[in-house]
Amino acid sequence: MSASLLFDILVTGLITGGIYALVALGLNLQYGLMRVLNVAHGEFLMLGAYVTYSLHTDWGANPLLTLLVTGPAAFVAGLVLHRLLYARVLAQAEAREAIESRSLLLSFGLLFVLQNTALLVWSADLQGYSYLAIPLRVLGAVFPANRVLAAVVALALSVAFYVYLRRSLVGKAIRALMEEPEGAQLVGVNLTRLHGICFGLGVAMAAVTGSLISMLFELTPFVGLPYTVTALVVVILGGLGNVAGSLLAALLLGVVETVGVYFASSDIRLISSYAVLSLILILKPAGLFGR
Amino acid sequence: MAASRVLLAAVALALLAAPWLVTGYQRSLLLAILADIALAVSWAFFSGPTRYLSLATGAFFGAGAYATAVVGGRLAWPLPVLAGAAVGGAMALVVGALALRLRGPYFAVFTFGLAELAKHTLIWYETRVTGTVGRLLLSPPGPWTLYYTVLALAGLAVATALLLRRSRWGYALVGIGEDEERALTLGIDTTRVKIGTFALSAAFMGAVGAAMAPRWTYLDPQVFNPLVSFQTVIMALVGGATTVVGPALGAAFLGLVSELFLLRFRYVYMLALGLTLIAVVVAFPSGLAGIGRRAPRERQG
Repeated sequence: MSASLLFDILVTGLITGGIYALVALGLNLQYGLMRVLNVAHGEFLMLGAYVTYSLHTDWGANPLLTLLVTGPAAFVAGLVLHRLLYARVLAQAEAREAIESRSLLLSFGLLFVLQNTALLVWSADLQGYSYLAIPLRVLGAVFPANRVLAAVVALALSVAFYVYLRRSLVGKAIRALMEEPEGAQLVGVNLTRLHGICFGLGVAMAAVTGSLISMLFELTPFVGLPYTVTALVVVILGGLGNVAGSLLAALLLGVVETVGVYFASSDIRLISSYAVLSLILILKPAGLFGR
Repeated sequence: MAASRVLLAAVALALLAAPWLVTGYQRSLLLAILADIALAVSWAFFSGPTRYLSLATGAFFGAGAYATAVVGGRLAWPLPVLAGAAVGGAMALVVGALALRLRGPYFAVFTFGLAELAKHTLIWYETRVTGTVGRLLLSPPGPWTLYYTVLALAGLAVATALLLRRSRWGYALVGIGEDEERALTLGIDTTRVKIGTFALSAAFMGAVGAAMAPRWTYLDPQVFNPLVSFQTVIMALVGGATTVVGPALGAAFLGLVSELFLLRFRYVYMLALGLTLIAVVVAFPSGLAGIGRRAPRERQG
């Protein structure tokens, strides 16, 4: 195997991984902090992608600029959903397991609602547009410019979020809640408000990722679930509530998957991600980098 | 107690006599509803008391159905149903041994992945190895045979659920749902009880899949449908998962709605199903008793 092929696979893997990182961070934020396993995560990605698609094809908007619409809109939607649904379930004082199962069912309900709304609005046909589908030369290897752009934006947002968690007051409060929920509340962290913010941020990350991937792939209302599964794999690999772990695991998974697709074939991608998920669940529920 | 027995007997008689009294369309509607009842009741007798949220119904149902399609032509009628039960039960033994150590949403996610994993593995296997995705069901049994097969399965599922509630085994299940460690300390072999009941419930699901398969005449791996898993959970939860009547009533209601609307207004129906699930979880947590707190012995009857 030549060095240029290796480079090619590595960069392609990192591009894929960068996109995974952003989806997975959103899911990790929701699960790590609230114990809400949001299986509708990928559906928000799907909606973000469709909104960008519609804004671009119907209004001629620049796909990259639509992030400024989908991100904030999704954040608000997340706040509302949290207030209307999740806050109520979380407020029912009961065993943690019962709350987790209930919020899981809730997200499955959301999955049905969002997916079928999309089917009614955009139909089940493949839809897409072409944007920046030009070759980009990097150190002798050629990559599609739109992929590189999407990955760079996704990675930049992921890193920015990581810094935000480390530096800002809200970020510190979030980390405090992840590590010591009761102590954090004792020093004046407002649990419900922060949960809302985190849920909104998680939804926004999914939607923004969706806007990015709409530049790369054709869309159907079913594109979401595979991303949810991938994000789950990443979150579980990287450890719940572990942001840096998620970033590493996403890049790792992106590379491993690219190698797998290169040497085997692409139709075992879905099988392998479910198989990997099952294996990790059984063998190491705390995650590879788990605490 | 006596009144409920009379009622049960009356319902059973009515269902036995029904094929003589109704049209062919109504009979097939009843058949679908009975299948839903069998699925919901057998889901609830495991997941209700133990609070393990299983989303594997679609996988076991699909396995049973596909098993019929594979062996169907070569075996006389009730045998494919038994084969379906055996396949579903065997699959659950393996899955249970692996997954029943997981708690909370991990178990749910694992079981949800199972249907998808089975579907995609089967698609991959069929395209690569046998070269055909999908099978024709030749010489399926007549509609009356199917009706009574599914009626028998629904009846058996209800009887099993009723028997479980009154047995030591059933109390062990409730104990596992309330506090698994404590149940273990009290000398309950929790692993055996959990896996055994899980497999029993999966055997019913496999059998129902096998019995319903001839309705389609053509089967492909899409029969591993996660919608079956969700419909079953929603049916049981709407009715109240820790009772026997609850899941049966929920299945009768939603089964009817599903048969009437799924094909004609697919997206609207699925959307409404999602809204129902959300409403049940948010507004009627007591309807969620199975995953919630209440144990069957507190409301005997």
